[in-house]
This record gives sequence, structure tokens and C-alpha cells, in this order.
Amino acid sequence: MNALTTVSVDHPSTSPIKIIGFVTLILALALLPFVWDNRFYISLITQIMIYGLLAMSLDVLLGYTGLLSFMHNAYLGIGAYIVGLFLIHVSQSSLWLACLVGVIATAAVALPVGWVQVRTGGLAFALLTLAFGMMFHTIVWKWYSVTGGDDGLMGVPSPDIHVFGWTIGNTGDPTHIYLLTLFVVSFCFILTRRIIRSPFGAVLEAIRENEERAAFVGINVRRFKLYGWMLACILAAISGALFILYKGYIGPSTMTAFAGAGVLMMVLLGGMGTLRGPLIGAGIFIYIQDYITTMTEHWEIYLGLVVIFLVLFMPTGFVGLGSYLKRLRGN
Amino acid sequence: MTGIGTAVDIALNSLVLGGVFLIVAIGLNIVYGLSRIMNLAHGSLYAIGAYAGYTLVATGLNFFVALLITPIIVGFLGLILERTVIAPMRKRSMLYTLILTYGLMYFLDGVIKQTWGNEPRFIELPNFMRDTLSILGTHYPVFRLVTLGITAAVMIALMLFLNKTRLGIILRASSTIPEMVSCLGFNMNYVHIGAFVFGCALAGVAGIIAGPLTTIDPLMGHEMLISSFVVIVIGGLGSLRGAVFAAILIGVVQTLAEFFITDLAMVIVYMMMAIILAFKPRGLLGEGKFE
Repeated sequence: MNALTTVSVDHPSTSPIKIIGFVTLILALALLPFVWDNRFYISLITQIMIYGLLAMSLDVLLGYTGLLSFMHNAYLGIGAYIVGLFLIHVSQSSLWLACLVGVIATAAVALPVGWVQVRTGGLAFALLTLAFGMMFHTIVWKWYSVTGGDDGLMGVPSPDIHVFGWTIGNTGDPTHIYLLTLFVVSFCFILTRRIIRSPFGAVLEAIRENEERAAFVGINVRRFKLYGWMLACILAAISGALFILYKGYIGPSTMTAFAGAGVLMMVLLGGMGTLRGPLIGAGIFIYIQDYITTMTEHWEIYLGLVVIFLVLFMPTGFVGLGSYLKRLRGN
Repeated sequence: MTGIGTAVDIALNSLVLGGVFLIVAIGLNIVYGLSRIMNLAHGSLYAIGAYAGYTLVATGLNFFVALLITPIIVGFLGLILERTVIAPMRKRSMLYTLILTYGLMYFLDGVIKQTWGNEPRFIELPNFMRDTLSILGTHYPVFRLVTLGITAAVMIALMLFLNKTRLGIILRASSTIPEMVSCLGFNMNYVHIGAFVFGCALAGVAGIIAGPLTTIDPLMGHEMLISSFVVIVIGGLGSLRGAVFAAILIGVVQTLAEFFITDLAMVIVYMMMAIILAFKPRGLLGEGKFE
């Protein structure tokens, strides 16, 4: 661990303007449902935040550690199924306990998978995520007696939200789940940002930039890849817990490779290696998806074209667009 | 049916399944071996091969004529794709190539759904191929035997091409030391284009021979893509010998798993891939090339 002290972290400290901007944004979003009584958009924004958290967790892996996971949605799915099963079979009212169990159980599933995966890197890692993701999808799809198979997990109760003994809402209410999601996602965002900007984050970036050199300065590459993987999976499990509370339902279609491509798209749209990028990307993606599906059923064509276009012409996403154009003009 | 009959059935089914895996996987492997491009849209090209075969046979063409035309169509599609989106990716990082071909996969799937719809299709076989042949106590469909024959013919032709012809030797040399081949005055650009088009054509062949084995639906490519990954990963990326070995192995494992536990058969196959990749990342024969 000596290596950690020698790696310089070149992130400037967050400027007060950014902090004020962030707090204002969160407050504005928190007040939104009280001034704008549009259930459809409040629900859409909740969905955007949940997927934004998932995309952000994928970005920890893809943008910071340089590992590609094709089916990160599998861990959202596992988290959601476990929370849902806990609420149905064990206790209908213990919200926090259910979330805790969901996150820990997902981590317990992700640990052996990650242990196997970090033995490889690059292409092999990506292919393994696909193999394991398909495996989880098949299990969820075929294990009818537990998961409900193709029909999905139905009838998940919506527990009350308790904080220090007070009941402050119910997850079945769109406004309450919106506020809960907003709180959890902003908390996760701040926490992940702290982690990424710590020496630990610098080690992950070192691995992304050059695995061999990172190993030469004494970093245990496999171990740190596993830490990065676990961080990403735990965040995905949290998004899964929010997902089941928000929808009250989960089916195997949430865990397909196709849905996994969507998450990848969100990261690409927003910009890899910027934590706020994937959140913005999720917003753009879900809004566009919502829009296109009302117009045409063959929306894969457009999804595919957008991905191809992004990779060919806009590899830095929307967040990096400004500096990318500047560099182009400079050339 | 007797016990021996069932065993013969399973053995032949394993070989037929393994053969289709092999043709798809070899195409993917050649492109990877020569250009270091892992084409995730390969499964969709296989599906397009199946649909093209269906359309050709449905218009009244003989099955064997369709078998010759389909690879040309899919190969031509491959040429267009190579020139437009794949070629710019050769100098980019592996990550971007994977993401781009992932997008390409969805684009092609969308095109398939738009053109042929979601309903499953079936390739009409010539009369003589619909019969069964009795072998050691089982009645085995003639078509499956023909499939086996076609697979063997493709493989033998490929081996002869790679080992005996001048072009094949240039290709093999390019997969080991591309710089040297380039210095000897061969245009590597043509090698890359050729490899990609050839890989796509093989996917097309696999598509049309797999058409009558399964139903043709827009998702057939996804399953095949994953299966061919399993094959080339177990055999070692870029290794042709390994692919042959792994394809037969996976054919046997999948057929047995489907026979005994049906629903969760694919879980066994994925687990096997994960374990082998984790402990023998260069494949069972240790010939794989990883970047």
C-alpha cells in the first residue's frame, strides 16, 4: 500500500461555486413535485435517477478502472429481486432491512464472479461479464417457483419509509419514492465522488492507464480491480433496491443483454470517466427512448445507429463535447 | 428407442450442433486473429444468413444453390460494413471496437425485424432431405447428416486453403507477424478486408445450414454469438485447432445438458466458459492470443 502515498492525485479541490450549484440543483429537484403536479414526469425523473445511479456505477468500472461490463444491469436485477423477495416472504414493512439484505446479498453474488473475472482483463473480462450476465438472466427466467419466471416478480408490497422512528412516507406514493430516490442517489453520487478522488480512485485510474506500470509501482492490480468491481456492483444493487420500490415489479427483461446495452449507451452519451456524465446520459437516453417507442417499434435500429455514431464521432460524450470541439478547432 | 439408439442420437446431435458452432466461431476467430477485432455483430450476420437463405428458398431456388449464394450476399454486406464502420476502428482501443460492434448488432437486429418481422420462419427442404435414415437403432433425419457433411467439407476446404495455398500462407503469416508481411510488400489493408469479408461469409453459410435445424427468429443470432464466444474462448482466441476441439466439446456438453436438465442447460455452458477462462485464459490448448 506504500504505492498509494506516491501517486499524486491531480484533481483540484471542488470550488465553492460548484458546491453551491450542486446544492441548488438538489433543492430545486426536491421542491419540484410540490410546485409541478405532473405525475408522469415525476415518475420519469425517478426512473432517470435510478438508471443514472446504475450508469454511474458502470462508469466507475468503465471510465475509471478501464473494465467493460456488458451486463451491469444484471446486478440491478439481482438486487431488485432479492429486495422484492425479502419484502414478499420475510417482512412487509422493514424497508431499510430489506435494502441492506439486498445490497449484501448482491455483493455476496458479485464477489465470486468478480474474483473469477479480475483474473483476466480487457476483452476476456468483457466476454466474462456477458457469460455471467446471460447466466443470471437464464436462472431468473427459468427458476419459475422463486422468481416467477417470464411473468416476473409481482405483488411486491410498498413499505412505509421510517427515519428514526418517524414514518415520513410510503414507497407506493410517487412523490415519496421520488424524494427517497433523490436523496439516495445524491448521497451515492457524493460518496462515489469522494472515493474516486481519493488515492484509491487514483490507483483505479492508474490501472486503466497502464496496468503493467501500475503493477511495477507495487499496486496489486487484481485486488484493486476487484475493489472497483465490488464498488460498482454495490452501487448497482442500491439502484436495484430503488428500482423494485419504485416499480413494485421486476421481470427478466430488465436483465437482458439488450437492457445492458442501454446502460452502456447512457455512459457513452454522457461521457465516460465523469461521474455526472452518466446521470445526464441516463436522462437523455430515457427521454429519447420514451419518445421513440411511441413513434416506432423498431427502435433498435436507432439505438444501434446512435451507438455507432457516438463511438465514431463523439467518443467523449455530451459532457466532453465542449473540450472535444475546442481540440478539433485547435488542430 | 433402444439405449444405443439414444446414444447414437446424442452423439450425432452433438456433432451437428458443434459443427454449426464451429463455422460461426471460425469466422469470428479469423477476424480476431488477423485484425484484433472482436465483432459482436457476428451473430446478427449469422441470422441474416439464415433469413437470406429462407428468402432464396422461398422464391423457389434449390437449397444447394441458395447455399452458394447466401455467403456471397452476407460477404458483400460484410464488405460494406468493413469499409464504413469497422475500418476506422482498427487503430482505436479494443473497448471502443466492442461498443461499436455492439451497436452494430442492435442496428442489424432492428433491420432484420423491420424486414422479416418477429414471426419464426422455416426453410423448406428438398424432399429427399426430409426423410430419416436408420442408423444403429435410431431414425436419424437425412438433413442433419447433410449438415454434418457440409460442415466437414467447409472445414477441410479451409484447412487446405490455409495450409496449401499461397494466399492461405500469407494469411497465417499476417496473424503472427503482420509487420513482416507488410515489409515483404503485401498490402495489409487487403488482408484485413479479406479476413472480415471471409468471416462474414462463413457466418452466412452457418446461418443457412442452421436454418432448418432450428426455427429462424430475430433472436437466433444472440444465442449463437454467445455460444461461439464460448467456443473460441475455450479453444483459445485466434487458435483454429483449439476452436475445432472446443466446438465439439461444447456441442457434446450442451446436447447432454439439454437432454438431462433441459431448462438450465445454458447455465452449465456459461459456467464452463467462466471456469476455463479464469484458470486457462489462453484456452484449453494454450494457443490463444490476448491483447
